Amino acid sequence: MDIDDILASVDRHDDSPASAALDHQLLTRFWVAERAVSEVLPWPTLLMERMMERVSQQISRIEDLASSSSPTTNLHLSILQTDLARTQYLIRSLLRQRLSKLTKHSMYYLLKIAGANPVDSQPSQHHHNQQQPQDSVPDFPAGILGSNTSPLSNQEASFLHAHQKLLAGHFGASFLSGFPAQLRRLDDNAGGTSMVTGPDGREAVFVRCLADEVVVRVPPGDGIDVEEIGVSMRKGEVWAVRWEGVREAWEGGELELL
Amino acid sequence: MAFPLPRGITPPEIAFLAEMEMVTIIPRQRLEGLELLGGPVEPLRPPRRASLPLWLALLLKRQRRANILPPPWLHPEPLSFILDVETQHPDYKSAFSPPPLLPGQSHPNARGQTPAARPRYTPDGQRYFAAPPFLPQNTAQTDASEVEPPSLPYHWLEVGNMLLDAASDDLVEPDQIRILLKDLREARNAKLRAGIDALDAASTGGGGVALTGVGAMELGEGRGFMVGVVDNLRKIGASKEQARREQMAEEMANRGYDNTQDDDDDMEF
Repeated sequence: MDIDDILASVDRHDDSPASAALDHQLLTRFWVAERAVSEVLPWPTLLMERMMERVSQQISRIEDLASSSSPTTNLHLSILQTDLARTQYLIRSLLRQRLSKLTKHSMYYLLKIAGANPVDSQPSQHHHNQQQPQDSVPDFPAGILGSNTSPLSNQEASFLHAHQKLLAGHFGASFLSGFPAQLRRLDDNAGGTSMVTGPDGREAVFVRCLADEVVVRVPPGDGIDVEEIGVSMRKGEVWAVRWEGVREAWEGGELELL
Repeated sequence: MAFPLPRGITPPEIAFLAEMEMVTIIPRQRLEGLELLGGPVEPLRPPRRASLPLWLALLLKRQRRANILPPPWLHPEPLSFILDVETQHPDYKSAFSPPPLLPGQSHPNARGQTPAARPRYTPDGQRYFAAPPFLPQNTAQTDASEVEPPSLPYHWLEVGNMLLDAASDDLVEPDQIRILLKDLREARNAKLRAGIDALDAASTGGGGVALTGVGAMELGEGRGFMVGVVDNLRKIGASKEQARREQMAEEMANRGYDNTQDDDDDMEF
């Protein structure tokens, strides 16, 4: 760390126009990343708070300008509104993409925010005859909200919970009630096959390396309990690689998804 | 259905991204500085040049309030130079011509030290490296000491087409540029198609395929097909990969922890 790093880290809590530009770049990059991978990425709470704050400020500025209508403000107004619409499009597309991923693998994410390992978790076996599909929806973990382990925002977590309760109720009412009680759970893993499916981390993604060098990793699995090292990418290069091999480097900001 | 679009940004979204590239304009009328959500816009004072995002430059251009200075690469000479590199140069028979360097990236043939890029920090304290579309790759150069050979920026096809559509009167020989862009696109598309063979490397764990120099729109067009090929190859080879890893685990258990290297699939494309 040299003097530039220290200076940069001191004045990074400003609300200058330059930080607006930086936040815009971060939001754009996050949107591209969220669109590129199959799993829900960790919610950037602070960034989104700043963006929403700026959007509401900008809306009130546009309203002020519109009320004092004079011919010269017309161009201003149209530029400001175009800019606002572009930012709102980014945010809307980002949120809709996340909702679509969440509803696709709802049980996986519910188990994940409840703190369980989604794929291997053993469903708690209650052998009473009143077993309902709703019972498999984990309780809403109030204490976990706001913690760093959940990739979801609080609103997304509560949406997902309500969504899954409704879905389980609907399944129960329409066909699962006709099944034997022990077959009614949505996280059933009888016979060694878990009914909870998660996103596939092995899908290929396109990345651009931004740090000087990033290596592709092979996470432990299939009997190998250490991490293997694969090919290495240098700054400025574009590669097609497995998402699980570069997730860590992405979290560190060493590469961007394309 | 919360979201109907497929995974990975689609061509319209890529064009939307390309509109964030900065371009240089010569304003025809004054406009005071604006604070946009995408960052501040400098005040416009004719005939001083200014750098604006492409969407704003196009908006002003359509209202005849500004002229756009074409980016340095969007001229017939640099484009035919790049086309020569793409088609004639022995080093780039199957690879794309090299993209513009990122800040702090040293030239492959450069001797000596390149100045390290000043790291920026996000407000949350992470290191931040700027990348297209937020690098000045399409602004007119101010200093004549340009030593780098011309190169195609990441959003070359989109920026080129948008400028040809909306600002062809600001370009030098727009018809020639249109022909060169089309030739470049065809030459590069042929390379992308020929490179499908190498995609097998990206389907193994730890492997990857280098596509350095590829353009955003070329990636967007080929994304569905390439990701499909890689994922299907991976599924076909899944049991083979598992067997290989299990064998490797056995070997590792037998002779302790030697560092086992995955066979390098460093294939240029």
